[in-house]
Amino acid sequence: MKKAILYLNQFFGQIGGEELADHAPEIREGLVGPAMELDKQLGEDVKVTHTIICGDNFMGSNQEEAINTIIGFLEDKEFDIFFAGPAFRAGRYGSACGNICKAVKDKFKVPVISSMNDENPGVEMFKKEVYIFKGGASAAAMRKDVKAMAAFGLKLLKGEDLLPAEEEGYFGRGVRSQVWLNPPVNATDRVIDMLLKKVHGKPFVSELPIPKADLVPIAPALTAEELSNIEVAIVTSGGIVPVGNPDRIQSASATKWGKYDISQLDDLVKGEYMTIHAGFDPAAANNDSDVIVPLDALRAYEKEGKIGGVYKYFYSTVGTGTTQAEAARMGKEIAAELVEAGVKAVILTST
Amino acid sequence: MKLELGNFHVKDMIFGDKTAYCNGILTINKEEALAVVREDESITEADLVIVKPGDKVRLVPVKEAIEPRHRIGGGPLFPGVTGDLQQAGNGKTLALKGCSVLVVGKHWGGFQDGLIDMSGEGAKYTYYSQLKNLVLVADTDEDFEKNEQQKKNRALRWAGMRLAEYVGACVAELQPEETETYELAAVTKRTEEENKLPNVVIVLQPQSQMEELGYNDLCYGWDCNRMVPTFMHPNEVLDGAMISGSFMPCSSKWSTYDFQNFPMIKRLYQEHGKTINFLGVIMSNLNVALEQKQRAAQFVAQMAKSLGADAAIVAEEGYGNPDADFIACIVALEDAGVKTVGLTNECTGRDGASQPLVTLDEKADAIVSCGNVSDLIKLPPMETVIGELQALARDGLSGGWDNDAVLGPSVKEDGSIIMENNAMFCGDQVVGWSTKTMKEF
Repeated sequence: MKKAILYLNQFFGQIGGEELADHAPEIREGLVGPAMELDKQLGEDVKVTHTIICGDNFMGSNQEEAINTIIGFLEDKEFDIFFAGPAFRAGRYGSACGNICKAVKDKFKVPVISSMNDENPGVEMFKKEVYIFKGGASAAAMRKDVKAMAAFGLKLLKGEDLLPAEEEGYFGRGVRSQVWLNPPVNATDRVIDMLLKKVHGKPFVSELPIPKADLVPIAPALTAEELSNIEVAIVTSGGIVPVGNPDRIQSASATKWGKYDISQLDDLVKGEYMTIHAGFDPAAANNDSDVIVPLDALRAYEKEGKIGGVYKYFYSTVGTGTTQAEAARMGKEIAAELVEAGVKAVILTST
Repeated sequence: MKLELGNFHVKDMIFGDKTAYCNGILTINKEEALAVVREDESITEADLVIVKPGDKVRLVPVKEAIEPRHRIGGGPLFPGVTGDLQQAGNGKTLALKGCSVLVVGKHWGGFQDGLIDMSGEGAKYTYYSQLKNLVLVADTDEDFEKNEQQKKNRALRWAGMRLAEYVGACVAELQPEETETYELAAVTKRTEEENKLPNVVIVLQPQSQMEELGYNDLCYGWDCNRMVPTFMHPNEVLDGAMISGSFMPCSSKWSTYDFQNFPMIKRLYQEHGKTINFLGVIMSNLNVALEQKQRAAQFVAQMAKSLGADAAIVAEEGYGNPDADFIACIVALEDAGVKTVGLTNECTGRDGASQPLVTLDEKADAIVSCGNVSDLIKLPPMETVIGELQALARDGLSGGWDNDAVLGPSVKEDGSIIMENNAMFCGDQVVGWSTKTMKEF
């Protein structure tokens, strides 16, 4: 008999609605709400032993505490697989499911499965790390969504051959692997089919979808005179942070950014600043973080009068493994702050 | 230009007193055949073995595959390579189908060499497990490259070609069981019906990354690194104008057999006059310097445009650095208004999460993908190994390793192996046989 555990929010955990979204995490033996359907769909060989319930706001505002508490609940439990949701179109719930699934997967190395509607922001944030099934928009789809999660969970537990994401019904995790077409179709036939469709202006599907480039035009150049009168800000995806990484920015697949006050500094010195980026050899950046956040050079320019000054914060995140969607979100958030502060020039450094 | 390929379907291959073909049985006189191999004094050891589909045999390091053929009226099978230059693709050539000459190193392998399993789970990874193969297992005195990861394999590859000519000669006086005819009128002399159809070219990008001569594919004996794209008749490719090189990670490689049988070219012939007007082949290359890539793409697009191509297929023999040529060529063609389909494999890494090609462009919106070079493959021990199994681990085969922190060595003590698809002999079959594709998981 294999064992499963399910995560729910306060609403589906039958605690209450929005007014109880601050509900602290709890674990109950047995089945609450959708856990009953999940247990039924998993059949005789797999049992849902516990239900975890946590308020969406609690998870949102005290994420670390919530995750640590739940991981604590799980430490003495035996389980082979972990489910969360379905979260339908509920954004905070989706994000909570993603966060807890990722934490459970990292800590206990068990398969984690959730379900969300394609408009749930949790999909973009977590689809690379969690099997997220394509779910309905509302709880009306509960039975269907739970069934899809359960069927795939059973496949994983039995070690059956897994089909591509599209066929299984989850959001692709960005993992591409070779498969033999069944029935077999030679590449020659596939090329001719695609070629004729393309030539005749009919729709066709490429076997290697290319992500849409979402390019933002670079702002027009500033004159030397304009530059001498304005502050320049520094933004980096090179992972430079004060030693200790106070904002806990992830070393890869980052979803967070931080801003650090440099108004009193002329130089980022070794031992006070470092990189937490996991995508390159950090030796040079740890020795002198100015190689990525060139504060020393900008201070020199400031003294020479080439620039009006350096904006009081620099902004930092990590660019390795970070999804385009997350990078764009963080970029917009940072840009909004800079615009609000009236910053007119930014140096963006990458690694 | 008109090429008639006269086929003999080999149902069985055996050793015997006289090298001959009769009623589907190909008999090889081993000693006579070995004498042909030993014409090159660089060959120090040589043996011949016959392997067939279903045999419990693993071959490694495999260096080359060639279809045995005979050119009616004389002349070398590979003009400019095994003999004097002459026009290929016009006339009659006889071919022994369902079989190949395989060249296997007795000991030493390299980056470009591969593995073939004739049965079991591993057989599906390569086309050559379906053929009756005359296997030359040999060693040479080319000591300068014995311990080099990159090997030219010249003596062995040329021995394989001589052997293919020797075997092919046994049908010289026989009537073929079937004849395939490949004929295209001059580009400006097509029929009205043909001219109404979309005009299509195929752009081939054979391997040419090595600056030093001796490693790259040859076009009539000329190193593809030293050429700019040129227009060729498809019959030339089907009739020995191109030979494989000795460089690319093996699953991405096109063997000489692949060139002789190029399925994508044959498929275009099938469509010719029905759905398309097949203009011909633009033979490009895959040189490493950016300027050379740009120059090649520019030549290809200009040639396609001047020929009046409405559509093109671009196929690359390789991955990594060559992806830049592949994408640049597609973009140049699309910019010239030629609707283009790409034919390639991918490298998404062992976890499958890496960017599939080194460069991408939204204009490359129609790609047929034939596999992932870095998929991990585990195979059980095989009863018989021809060549040397350790070569996979020891000699830097592109899909093998002598030690990996997590996976250990490629070759285990019990003879089982773990490798990347990279080392499957011509495994991704980008020439067109591939029934593999890539899917997101």
